[in-house]
Amino acid sequence: MQNITSGFGAFHPLALMLWFVSIFIVSMFSMNPVITLLSFAGAVCLSLARFGLRDFFRHAGFYLIMFLLIALSNPLFSHNGETPLFYLNHQPVTLEAFFYGLETAFMIVAVLYWFKCFNVLMTSEKFIYLFGRVIPRLSLILSMALRLLPAFLRRYRQIARAQKAIGLFSGKGWTDQIKASAMVFGALVSRALENAIDTGASMLARGYGLPGRSHFSIYRFTRRDLFLICADLACSVVVFTGMATGSIRFFFYPSVRCSWNAASYIVFAAFALLSFLPFIIECKEKLTWNYYISKI
Amino acid sequence: MKRIFGLLIIIVFIPALIVLGGFMFREQSYTWLAVCIALLSLVPVFLNFEKKDLRTERLILIAVMTALSAASRMVFAYIPHFKPITALIIITGIYLGAESGFVTGALSALISNFLFGQGAWTPMQMFSWGIIGCFAGLLHKPLQKSLPLTVLYGAVSGVLYSLLMDLYSTLWFGGEFSIARYGAMTLTSMSTTILYVISNVLFLLLLTRPIGKKLERIHTKYGF
Repeated sequence: MQNITSGFGAFHPLALMLWFVSIFIVSMFSMNPVITLLSFAGAVCLSLARFGLRDFFRHAGFYLIMFLLIALSNPLFSHNGETPLFYLNHQPVTLEAFFYGLETAFMIVAVLYWFKCFNVLMTSEKFIYLFGRVIPRLSLILSMALRLLPAFLRRYRQIARAQKAIGLFSGKGWTDQIKASAMVFGALVSRALENAIDTGASMLARGYGLPGRSHFSIYRFTRRDLFLICADLACSVVVFTGMATGSIRFFFYPSVRCSWNAASYIVFAAFALLSFLPFIIECKEKLTWNYYISKI
Repeated sequence: MKRIFGLLIIIVFIPALIVLGGFMFREQSYTWLAVCIALLSLVPVFLNFEKKDLRTERLILIAVMTALSAASRMVFAYIPHFKPITALIIITGIYLGAESGFVTGALSALISNFLFGQGAWTPMQMFSWGIIGCFAGLLHKPLQKSLPLTVLYGAVSGVLYSLLMDLYSTLWFGGEFSIARYGAMTLTSMSTTILYVISNVLFLLLLTRPIGKKLERIHTKYGF
């Protein structure tokens, strides 16, 4: 796997977040097969570029099961549509409901793949950086909790080892393990709460909450971030106008039908650009990298 | 001026967002509504929390409780769906108040999902756990007095959590609310719901008194 600060991950958190929000909104809420397939292809390409082929095949099973479950369950629950394939319990199982299930399954798997990339690209530091100005107090809590989490897990193991060594539990068997976990957890809570007071006193002594204090951040907003935001906004405006004016509407019920015109193809082109933008950026980065390597 | 601006957001901007979204995403307008409600319900609580006069120690206590509930989700990772996280959020709500309960619940969902993976379910999880912590805080008087009531609240919130998450999946998978699909969803997730209820009951029985006593002790010793 690549470094998180390379390729698409090197962009400013604001540009990244805006891009992800627009792709999530369009992918989750549009029920147009072209949009969904473009989004699915873009998500799979990006995760292939980021995580490689091996990772793709290792997790493909989970996504496939999810896909089949959603695609095949829809015709069982939805009996709309005018082309019955066969009857089950006197209820028609229709072709249209099957197509609708297929569409939903593609949409959900696409969103899952996008979130897989989101989890790697939008790290918690970037998240806190973004929201630190809007909600400073909650961001402080968030960043403190994120710092405490590994510390607590480490301390939990320490306490567990110590308690086991003095024979408080054996750790064998179901009930014993749960009882032990709860006991160790109680000890952890005591220590954590007492330490919290220390931290508070220390923070006050070092001047938390005084006016005129500035933030440190490692992110710089450069021209390429501006470029990404502009491209994102331009594409999103086109796609959202297309959705609002109904030029890419697609009907599954009562029969599969669409009313597309020249404007629809512009919308699809804009969304294709939006969806494949990170993949293009990743590819460009890799090509430049290899180009310079061969030069040396 | 700021007040007028805030009012403008509530009266004009938020309804406009919902209506516009519902119009744009006709086939998925129910899912849009659900996501909007989940996210927008966080906004007033969070803004109020930002403005409120709070002692630094209280902030850290919330951070500690949030980290503990997220850690508890990791510690018990060996049994799926069997986690003390809801129990801890309820305890926080009871002993630190409704607002702290909501914040702890919502942030625990966000933080533990940085480790378990964010997804389309994050807003709904934040909302559900926030609400559970909030109501625990609102009911703190009877709940502090009686452990059986706390346990009952835990059992109810386990069911509530499961029902809310199923509702969200039903809307998203189906594009509309269908009773048959919702019924099937709740039936297939029945085993999970039962595990939620059992874990909430068990961990509330095990943890309420010890952690409650510690939080009360912090209160008497340091005064918040």
